Amino acid sequence: MNKENIRLRVNKRDYQLEIAPNRLLLDVLRQDLGLTGSKRGCDDSSCGACTVLVDGEPQMACLMLAVSYQDCEITTIEGIACEGQLEPLQRAFCDEGGAQCGYCTPGMILTARHLLAHNPRPTDQEINEALSGNLCRCTGYVQIIASVRKAIELLEKQESGVAAAGQGG
Amino acid sequence: MSLPSFEVVRPRTLEGALEELERHGPDAQMIAGGTDLVPSLKQGLFSPRVLVDLKGVRELDFIRFDREAGLELGALTTITRLAQSPVVAEYFPVLQAAAKTVASPLLRNMGTLGGNLCLDTRCLYYNQSAFWRESLGYCLKKEGTVCHVAPGSSVCWAVFSGDTAPALMTLAATVRLASPRGEREIPLRELYVNDGWVRLTKRHDEILTAVRIPLSSAGWKGTYKKLRIRNSIDYPLAGVAVAMRWASDGVCQDVRIALTAVNPAPRLVEAAARLKGKRYDPSLVDEVAHEAIRTAKPLRTSASTMEYRRHMVRVFVRRALNEVWANGPHC
Amino acid sequence: MGETTTQSSPIGARVPMVDAVDKVTGAGKYADDLTLPGMLVGKILHSPHAHARIRSMDTSAAERLPGVRAVVTGAETPVKYGILPVGHDETIFCVDKVRYIGDNVAAVAAESEAIAEHALRLIRVDYEVLPAYFDPEQSMQAETNLIHDDRPHNIEREYHHHFGNVEEGFAQADYIRQDRFDCPEVTHAALEPHSTLARYDAEDGTLTVWSSTQVPYYLKKTLAATLQMPEEKVRVIKPLVGGGFGGKSEVIPLELAAAVLARKAGAPVKITYTREEVFLANRGRPRQIVELKTGVTRQGKLTAVEARIIQDGGAYCGYGVVTILYSGQLLNAMYDIPNVKFDGYRVLTNKPACGAMRGHGTVNTRFAFEQQLNRIASVLGLDPVEIRRRNLLHPPCVTLNNLRVLSYGYPECIDRVVERSGWKEKYGKLPYGKGIGFAGSHYVSGAANPIIRSAMPQSTVNLSVDRQGGVTIFTGASEIGQGSDTVQVQVVAAELGLPLEQVRIVAADTARTPVDLGSYSSRVTFMAGNAAIAAARDAKRRMLQAVARAYGVAEEDLLMEGGRVLGRNGCPLSLTLAEAARLAAGPAGVLTARGSYNTPEESRGGTFKGAGVGPSPAYSYSAQAVEVTVDPETGRVTVDRIVVAHDCGKAINPMNVEGQVIGSVWMGLGQALQEVVDYENGRIKNAGLLEYRTASTLESPPVETILVESNDPEGPFGAKEAGEGSLAATIPALTHAIYDAVGVWIDTLPVTPERILRALQEKQQAEWKSPGTGARM
Repeated sequence: MNKENIRLRVNKRDYQLEIAPNRLLLDVLRQDLGLTGSKRGCDDSSCGACTVLVDGEPQMACLMLAVSYQDCEITTIEGIACEGQLEPLQRAFCDEGGAQCGYCTPGMILTARHLLAHNPRPTDQEINEALSGNLCRCTGYVQIIASVRKAIELLEKQESGVAAAGQGG
Repeated sequence: MSLPSFEVVRPRTLEGALEELERHGPDAQMIAGGTDLVPSLKQGLFSPRVLVDLKGVRELDFIRFDREAGLELGALTTITRLAQSPVVAEYFPVLQAAAKTVASPLLRNMGTLGGNLCLDTRCLYYNQSAFWRESLGYCLKKEGTVCHVAPGSSVCWAVFSGDTAPALMTLAATVRLASPRGEREIPLRELYVNDGWVRLTKRHDEILTAVRIPLSSAGWKGTYKKLRIRNSIDYPLAGVAVAMRWASDGVCQDVRIALTAVNPAPRLVEAAARLKGKRYDPSLVDEVAHEAIRTAKPLRTSASTMEYRRHMVRVFVRRALNEVWANGPHC
Repeated sequence: MGETTTQSSPIGARVPMVDAVDKVTGAGKYADDLTLPGMLVGKILHSPHAHARIRSMDTSAAERLPGVRAVVTGAETPVKYGILPVGHDETIFCVDKVRYIGDNVAAVAAESEAIAEHALRLIRVDYEVLPAYFDPEQSMQAETNLIHDDRPHNIEREYHHHFGNVEEGFAQADYIRQDRFDCPEVTHAALEPHSTLARYDAEDGTLTVWSSTQVPYYLKKTLAATLQMPEEKVRVIKPLVGGGFGGKSEVIPLELAAAVLARKAGAPVKITYTREEVFLANRGRPRQIVELKTGVTRQGKLTAVEARIIQDGGAYCGYGVVTILYSGQLLNAMYDIPNVKFDGYRVLTNKPACGAMRGHGTVNTRFAFEQQLNRIASVLGLDPVEIRRRNLLHPPCVTLNNLRVLSYGYPECIDRVVERSGWKEKYGKLPYGKGIGFAGSHYVSGAANPIIRSAMPQSTVNLSVDRQGGVTIFTGASEIGQGSDTVQVQVVAAELGLPLEQVRIVAADTARTPVDLGSYSSRVTFMAGNAAIAAARDAKRRMLQAVARAYGVAEEDLLMEGGRVLGRNGCPLSLTLAEAARLAAGPAGVLTARGSYNTPEESRGGTFKGAGVGPSPAYSYSAQAVEVTVDPETGRVTVDRIVVAHDCGKAINPMNVEGQVIGSVWMGLGQALQEVVDYENGRIKNAGLLEYRTASTLESPPVETILVESNDPEGPFGAKEAGEGSLAATIPALTHAIYDAVGVWIDTLPVTPERILRALQEKQQAEWKSPGTGARM
């Protein structure tokens, strides 16, 4: 099988790679780029542990042929902490027990991130709907939902802080 | 589970895609969202030499509503966009209802309308790993000679498990198929063959490019009921789509009922015709719901029993009709 | 050991897990995330037959395939192993026979996954197919073609216990009820598939294995035995583990296969299971058929219980002997039952081996018992809560089968659930289609007797205090997502009066950490927690003694608080921990301390055959109320609300305890409603997460937790079990709620809509035949 030279943009960084066209993005991220935060949990694309953001939208890297995603901005869990600072969702998953074994956590956080970007004040039902493609086996989801709620609170505080600072300036 | 070896070609135009398909003939397979194909590749169900990746063919990604032509949906429209389309929500509620139930949010972000309509048929004896199928001695649909759900059967009973097809059938949708020979447009129901192995009338070198819903179907009340164990992720174990147009006095002017996941093809329920010209009547609804079971021939292709899936077809037809009709202006 | 704690004490604090940041950033490494230079991919060849003799095998074509670096078969690895000393019936690869579809036949290490998979297809195995047994009740009749030659009638083990006299007990009963319950197999479905990376260093003959294991020390022992190496040459490191629930609590074939391949190939080998292979490796909760007979007086006082339990264990023993014993032994220690008889059969079948799963052994028996108790209450017209209150234990006590119960928060659990759930206002009073149900459960806080009998402590901890006052815990205990590391950091910080940030933990690396038996039977908080406290006290004593000596003050006049050593009773001394540590280090230059825990002799149970399983230093208790809506036309159940009270002794970290309790309840709900490993002729039809349906967010109800703190006299700060005990009660509470909603009892799991509809039809037919019978009887 001929390898292809491809360009991938992951976490705002450009990579040039030579890969076989049958390689899945999940494997390329994990094996070639060392970005192991995206997990493989199933083989039938049911669990969502491999969730990455493709142009901001949560998708499953276990279904994606890497050669077909050269024009996209891919974000993995490693790409969301800003300058070493946890972002509110990450902070909240720590503080509210949203991560037990942690295996579903990267996918959960990325999916939740897309939700909050488009719907900053979701109802519990909307949170449930949004996360319904990411399976967790530890938490029964209760503390995951609480974590998302807490993140919303933190984001609101951040915003009102920014607003206050803006007014002050 | 490594994928088989293949090349990926990434045409940018429909013309280019058709050329690739023609060039590679039966060695080629199409891929768009990958949600159906990639897990099957992992299981060794297909071994294409070339994958024609349609994602770059942007001309197939559109939603157009025209006061004369009706609604046109490009085959590359993702299920998420379909479910979120205001036009679909306002004029074609049955389609929105069905789109919202497809798989999970993640899969809806990837899966396309074209892919959902051309979904491979599914069966517990088919959607298994190469190891599993080999240990059983394979099945009629793939590499074997016996249908394990209906031994002795000469047709494959794997079920069509798409959600959007029955909804579109109730709206009298047509699909456009492009090939190097030109384009043809056929009613969606004629896309399907009630044999899980044959599946589609689409020829290998044809690409399903668009779906068209006639303007006459706009504004029909409608709903979709889906039987599944989880309220996300799962394929349907049975699905019922109902669309109806009634007059201001509540008389049913036209109605269509379609079933999915209970046959190798999505099927329209003929008994729906009995409702035409009638006012809402619970016993008539019961009668049609009962008759709908005749259209459903589920075998043991998935979790849940045949009896229960048939029972649920009846319940869903009744509930769907009640939902779209009983709350009409007459009452 | 209950200690008074100040407000800032880490005990009772809702603090994040110590490894939470690694998990939310993706920085944490699980076994499959690890790589080594020159690493090869290992793949295992599985049997396509349920029962067959291996006539011959030809691996030459696979060996010749370019890129293949090693092929191993059973002939090279004939040493038998098993988690239990009485159950050594597995070999790394089958030697003479395969015993289930998926059994391990050979393995390949190659330069890529594709090459390894190709090589497997080149291995030719000539099988002589044998008749196979799939149903345990049929398997028990077998005379020929036995699964293991030394197990007549395919019975792995049977036990017959009789405490008191059930004949007399039943004679005293006013009402006797007999039912048969059928609980099919379910499995862990931890989100992380098993993965093992092994490296063998031929120069010094050492083997290093990184594995997704709950039991690194058992793995080390088994690696040494099966690879015929000295145990001191084997090092096992447990990276982050993506959930266990028992599925990683015994040695799993890939762990040994990876090591054998690495040694033979002379290069590191990683094997990661496909999800299908996770199902084939199994070790899930066995199908269990429970025939239960219970006698009560008119007032609802239990007089006798008799259980006949058949467990479908699959093809190997695994934990099976323990599973069947728990099923009988833990009929006790919940209620005061004067006469108990138990006949238990662990039966072999040609299916993947079952094993330990959350609530090991107790769940299906508890479902049966609680369901039967609810049915009895309904027949006698007693409130289901009241019948439980009339049969409570009166601790401290020792049960008929020698289980010692000291702390017993069950009565309080019952009271609090009754109050919070609105039980009195709801039970029997909700409209048709709505219902509420009630049940209880319990579990051990670790097994009092280790798997391999030994007088040595079950948990040991080393602790070092560096010259800057930083404390490092070295523990063998295995964090698998349940908070094992965090709880040890919390108890050590509390004991030393330190902020949590000043305590680090190094865990589960057999070359660096002292032995701990592992994460199973909910033993870690109790045992490793107590060992950590002992180590911290040892360090504290050394520091206080050194300070007292150096400053000529009395040791009693010193205390540790806020990261300092302070004087009290008028002594004005104030030293940093670093200063105290340097003093205590003395001429040795380093301060190390150690602690251990072993169960007290009085907690270890009786002497009868099988008495070793069941005893625990402490038992957790749980009571639950589940509210449902049942659609009588579709049979669909919606769980609206669950209220659970769990007696965890003391919640060292309430957030994590709640997480464990909710997770248990939710997993019980899965077993109750939809989960089942679906077999057809020994072949799993749903070996994936698409078809083995663990619930998504959308079916998962709100769970309200109440933590009851009974302060166990021997638990660390009073703590005991939290991660398993609440699972079992969910199932009977749910079926009870369905009864309350629509008037039918379901005795076969899972409670599918089909089963509910069928029961409703049968009920209707019965009512037509005999009109006038009440709906609720």
